Amino acid sequence: MSAERYFNALRNKVAGEMAQLNALDAALGDGDHGTTLLRGLTSAAQAADGRRAKAFMRASGGASGTLFGLVLHEIEQHLETGADLGDGLARAEARIRDLGQVKPGDKSMIDALSPAARALRDGDLRAAVAAAGAGRDATVEMIARRGRAQYVEGGGQGHMDPGAVSLTMMLALLAETEAAA
Amino acid sequence: MKKLFNSPETMVDDMIDGFVEAYPQVRRGAIDPRVVVRRRDAKNPDEKVTLLIGNGAGHEPIAMGFVGQGLLDANVVGDVFAAPSADLILDGVREVTGKAGSILLISQHSGDVINGRAATMLAEEDGLTVLPLLMYDDISAAPPERRQDRRGAPGTMFIYKILGAAAEEGTDQATLMRLGEEVRDRTVTLAAALSPGISPLTGLPMFSLPDDEIYLGMGVHGEPGVGRVKTGPVRGLVVEMIARLLEDRPIAEGGRAAVIINGMGGTTQMELLTVWRETAAELRRRGITPLAPMVGSYVTTQEMGGFSISLLEPEDEMLRLWCAPQDSPAFPEIHMIPEDDQK
Repeated sequence: MSAERYFNALRNKVAGEMAQLNALDAALGDGDHGTTLLRGLTSAAQAADGRRAKAFMRASGGASGTLFGLVLHEIEQHLETGADLGDGLARAEARIRDLGQVKPGDKSMIDALSPAARALRDGDLRAAVAAAGAGRDATVEMIARRGRAQYVEGGGQGHMDPGAVSLTMMLALLAETEAAA
Repeated sequence: MKKLFNSPETMVDDMIDGFVEAYPQVRRGAIDPRVVVRRRDAKNPDEKVTLLIGNGAGHEPIAMGFVGQGLLDANVVGDVFAAPSADLILDGVREVTGKAGSILLISQHSGDVINGRAATMLAEEDGLTVLPLLMYDDISAAPPERRQDRRGAPGTMFIYKILGAAAEEGTDQATLMRLGEEVRDRTVTLAAALSPGISPLTGLPMFSLPDDEIYLGMGVHGEPGVGRVKTGPVRGLVVEMIARLLEDRPIAEGGRAAVIINGMGGTTQMELLTVWRETAAELRRRGITPLAPMVGSYVTTQEMGGFSISLLEPEDEMLRLWCAPQDSPAFPEIHMIPEDDQK
């Protein structure tokens, strides 16, 4: 499957889920997660091959644009050059934990990415998506330690982390489009 | 508030257009036009370590004004008050990095650190040798035992200048990193804010303060600091600021300090020179010799009123490099104070 097809499909998926992502983010942050993702993905879908994750970083903006861009960079490399996705997600996870100073349990995208990267080491993408989904669901009960959600009453307990939701969406769509191809 | 721009969408690029046309020392980047690159007397990047920094627009003349011989090789310009994205910083790294490697200076603010470090990670994948140097000096942002959590403030200009001069002389990357860390560990800054800057994007003040109050330690975007003091003769304010700086990082009697008095954009040179006078007097009263001052508005936030005092206790080599000639559009000539004038 081409990176172009994936980024177009992801853009369309996020366009459909934008309001839902914004609503999740409104409970924990400034309510623009869907909007900034869509802005980044729209630019990525139109960018030249090899520049899609970078176009995402620039258009999406902010620290979250960089951190999600590092995941999309690995997915793009996987689709363009056949680079191993497991290695890529593990590298993205290490970088995001380092740059964002987050670890599993902090209520962030890492709670979906980390189990997915681990599942991909001994299983297939379908297993990784299932692991990401379980990690995503577990963020509901977590108390935020980083990002704006740490300042929300109760650290946002009771709300699902929008970054874990969108991260799972990215992997699920990759599994769907690879299965269809 | 009246402002002289064409539109929010074009204001940063309009400014860069004006800047590169006004000064022959600089040009726009060939890879990315949001990068301002040294043009005059540029050296071979396979032989000279290159220095660059990214920052949000709106704080000029820093940092584009410091691109030139003996200082920075490039400045990556973000949107107004927004750190440039990682891919844009990467474009800047690609523009100037050769076999000698480069150093990405990062003034410690959350977005700048994440995007800057991400850029160095991506650059490594491209086979480029670039090292990030985190810069922090604002004593109001964290106590001495957590120095590494402090914000970057105008004292970071000591690092720009000293590393810029050393790189020009052919110093290698590892030595420059060590030198930068040593300068950082010898630098402290404290700011006093009087009145807010007006955001060019919204036209609104960025914070508010009562007419008779000064906020000690406020960051350049209105981030919280030490606390409020009442206005009065500036001498009292300077004496308190010097006391806090020297309490944080003492300089022994008989020691010396290079000084930066930085205006935030809306404070006049008349006021800044008065602040420098009181700073020099207070340092001398404490038995410390003030050296080689830089006095003016170099790190600004639009028309924000206020200033900061930065002190560097220099080694001889740092002092020589601080005073070395350079050829950037905005950095001033730095002179030693003649012995006869030290009273």
